[in-house]
Amino acid sequence: MTSIDLALAGISLGAIAALSGIGLLVTYRTNGVLNLAQGGIATLVAYIFREMVVEWDLPIWLAAVIALAVVSPGIGLLLERLVFRPLARRRASAAEALVASLGVLVLSLGITAGIWGLGSRSDAPSIFPNSSVRVFGDSRLGVDALAELIMVVVFAAVIGIIAARTAFGRQIRAVVDDRQLAELSGVPADKVAAAGWAAGTTMAGLTGILLAPRFQLTPYGLTLLVLETFAVVVAARLSSMPVAVLTALGIAILQSELKQFTLHGDAGQILTVLQSNLFIVALLVLLLAVPKLRELGSGDSGATASFSSRGAPPSGRVSGVRLRRDYLGKLGGGALLLAPLTFAPSDLRSAFMVPALALIFLSMVIVTGYSGQLSLGAAGFAGLGALLSLKLANGDLFGLPAIPGIASMFVGALFVAPIGLITGYPAIRRRGLTLALTTFAVGAVVSRFVFEQPTFATGLYLDPLSLFGWELSEKAFYVFELLCLGFGLLVVRNLHHGRLGRALLALRDHSEGAAAVGVDVRNLKLLAFTVSSVVAGLGGTLLVHSSYSFSADDFAPLQSLLWFTAVVVFGADSAAGAIVAAAFMVTIDVLAPAGSSTLAIGILALALGWMPGGLASAVRGLLRLLAQYLADSFVDPNQRAPRPVPVRISAVGHLPATTGITGSTGIPGIGSTLGAARAGHYARWPLSGNQLGLPADAPRLTPFGASLVAMVQQYAAAQTAVGRQQRAAGAGGAPRPAGPQPSRAGAGAGAGAATHPAEGGRA
Amino acid sequence: MSRHVLQAVGLVRRYGGLTAVDHVDLVAPPGMITGLIGPNGAGKSTLFSLLTGVEQPDEGKVVLGSTDITRMRPDIRSRRGLVQTFQVPSLFPTLTVADNLLVGAENRRRDYAGGLLGLSAQGRGRVSHSIERGLERLGLAPKGPVTQIVEEVLDSLGLSEVRDTIAGTLPTGALRLVEFARALCARPDILLLDEPASGLDSEETAKLSQLLRRTAAGGVGIVIVDHDVDLVFSVVDQVYAMVGGRVVASGDPETVRNDPTVRSVYLAQAPLAVAGQSGEAR
Repeated sequence: MTSIDLALAGISLGAIAALSGIGLLVTYRTNGVLNLAQGGIATLVAYIFREMVVEWDLPIWLAAVIALAVVSPGIGLLLERLVFRPLARRRASAAEALVASLGVLVLSLGITAGIWGLGSRSDAPSIFPNSSVRVFGDSRLGVDALAELIMVVVFAAVIGIIAARTAFGRQIRAVVDDRQLAELSGVPADKVAAAGWAAGTTMAGLTGILLAPRFQLTPYGLTLLVLETFAVVVAARLSSMPVAVLTALGIAILQSELKQFTLHGDAGQILTVLQSNLFIVALLVLLLAVPKLRELGSGDSGATASFSSRGAPPSGRVSGVRLRRDYLGKLGGGALLLAPLTFAPSDLRSAFMVPALALIFLSMVIVTGYSGQLSLGAAGFAGLGALLSLKLANGDLFGLPAIPGIASMFVGALFVAPIGLITGYPAIRRRGLTLALTTFAVGAVVSRFVFEQPTFATGLYLDPLSLFGWELSEKAFYVFELLCLGFGLLVVRNLHHGRLGRALLALRDHSEGAAAVGVDVRNLKLLAFTVSSVVAGLGGTLLVHSSYSFSADDFAPLQSLLWFTAVVVFGADSAAGAIVAAAFMVTIDVLAPAGSSTLAIGILALALGWMPGGLASAVRGLLRLLAQYLADSFVDPNQRAPRPVPVRISAVGHLPATTGITGSTGIPGIGSTLGAARAGHYARWPLSGNQLGLPADAPRLTPFGASLVAMVQQYAAAQTAVGRQQRAAGAGGAPRPAGPQPSRAGAGAGAGAATHPAEGGRA
Repeated sequence: MSRHVLQAVGLVRRYGGLTAVDHVDLVAPPGMITGLIGPNGAGKSTLFSLLTGVEQPDEGKVVLGSTDITRMRPDIRSRRGLVQTFQVPSLFPTLTVADNLLVGAENRRRDYAGGLLGLSAQGRGRVSHSIERGLERLGLAPKGPVTQIVEEVLDSLGLSEVRDTIAGTLPTGALRLVEFARALCARPDILLLDEPASGLDSEETAKLSQLLRRTAAGGVGIVIVDHDVDLVFSVVDQVYAMVGGRVVASGDPETVRNDPTVRSVYLAQAPLAVAGQSGEAR
């Protein structure tokens, strides 16, 4: 084929990428949301279109009209109304909108996979006839390419005219600038936003329908293809439609032109990969080259604090009660994690995935939850860890000698560190959206150029692990996994405590402010990325040993997006949340058909609009409410300790009382009840064992409270009596009758329960 | 410990055809309050960014003590003693007030790797916990220098009562104070304050000027950029007046106030300088 023929062959793909780019730009310029779900929606519409034509035998034109004029805009309108309008109303940060669109992506993937399965279909219908027209000489251009090209020109022109020349265009700009201000000026902001979403999803649907017949139709494959077209909007710096269109055509034609070259050896292999993956390479290169995207609004998409909102652990000495409660929680969690050891072998094998996934999720807690960097490349690090350790074990890495199984896992994970460090470098100057896309592109490039390449990822043998010549049984392997998880938790703990923890949180909360007081922002970001990549790498090796094979699909770029969403849903700053998320996903995938966990995570992600801190935060809030409720039923609200006097902090000097927000508890949202319940005299009096001896200002008990106190007293008295009996029996004396001995009971229990009535009861 | 003087030498910053800062020289000695005034667009904020390291000058240099810090990042400048506060208070909203101050106090060194390995101050503290307790009983509580600084600053600014309050829940006036406290905890030689009085009422502003005087008396040099000309003139030891990117007058407040150029600028643009506070390009 001549260059001209190749160029003409590339036009169709370029035009589709341009259409996708136009859709993305329309949504972004009308709503300020870079719709990561574009690919998921495209795939869903493509499947619906295929269903109508192939399964229901509808005429293609009718199916196309239904898919593009009803289904696609309908999805957009629904998304605007149910997901993004609430976010815009409460002025959610760009990071939250980004995560919401990830949620939509995961949900649409889950729906598609749930209904049509994960298998590929090659019978996607084309809306254009399979014919071509002659352009110059003998060169021919497909009718589809011609039609797509015309569509691109028409859409770009129409949208350009609407944006620049009409009142509606002005309204769009006003809404994007400041939605509330626009509404105050009489602009129907909701309608403008809805129109933007409907147009964007229609373009997405069109992209899906046009792409599907060119490739195999699979939920993940098509979605990823559309995600790769993000290169186009990055080149356009999120603003210029002509640049987006030209870039799309340019990359596609260049990719097509590469087909006329052949090289041998490693270069040839790279060329082969480039011939079908130029878009993803362009995405990475453009992200590294384009200094700054023209983000809308305040460009605050770096602010992840909205979904990782927990502060540092207390810097002072922790109270005994709190410490005991922490230990109890950890003990309970540990017991749950050990439970699979009692399972049947097949169930135990399913549980192998939990610690492995949990480690990968912990790596995201480190980068996103603690240091506030949006990173969508975890699967890449995990896969590299797996691959490097396998190659080490096989003696197939840079001529290094073969390292036995377990050692190779750790060394392989450590080898990921330099790659994490390199990925961290772009993070120094990038935040939010740009960083998220960059890390995603790194993961995708690694996946395409390494995991999917036969030279790297085939012929690797997975020997059973052994320790000191003793082959690990399945139970022993699970215990080993738990030890690795424990190691990961230790790292996470060290990253969250003390000076380092505070510095990371400072970086997450306000990076300029942190730099202003000397926090080494640059090195901390690099540290977070490096450590996180090692933890993810270790998780990846465990994952491979859990599933007994290395599969590129396990570490596909879309996995990163799914995992990231799961981590945010369960609380991006919660190590426990990461473990629960892993257990949740594995359990659902074992119990329900494949893809169900994706669906579940997607649904939960959409609920993030209502629970900004993720499930972990929601659970924390629920516990707080429960504690409040218990405190209220324990102590008569009217007789509670006086609320702490709110303090105003004057700009200077001491604290005259005039304004203030929190009470002396220092915890927003917690009134005095909880604080009072913890305060010293409240804690001690029920344990004095004598209600008559209450201090004069003690609160009056509710009936529930009184009965609870009575129970505690009885229990404590019985314990003391038993102890005394035993002592008496030991001394050879006659056992005494067990009766209430309030004063001694109080003395016995008081020491153990310095601060909390409930704890006193237990003691 | 001798404190460093901050010097700007021949600073120039251009944006395309516009010269925002045009060969500016400035000296901010320790123990003195230096004011920077000028109408909107005079180049104050750009000069401030050049001093803090947020932007790089096209010409000229910034010197702290005897070190040329022109190419240093803001966090390195901060560790060397040049600490700034922001126009919009920039606390870490999820941390408590005390933790905010701790971040300020403990980042003069950079050895974060120790923390990663669990060798944090806290870890060491646990080892020597019993010793500390014994000393505490003898009334010799050995607080680390870092914690000590935080407690001192909390005390002296009257913030002890809110030490455990989550910073994000504080009102604006308090935010300013906590941010100032955090900057003090970083043990600055020179404090750069960007419009510290914005958002404060007149009573709070009056107290702010007292606080600035107290801080300067402790040996810290302060550079203050503010639209509140009354505040600046009431508190500073020396003033630099900028117009069109150049310093048109400098010296003690009285001299600058009586300078004909300054008078003409402020008489002509007085309402603008006071009212239009937000429009200046940064």
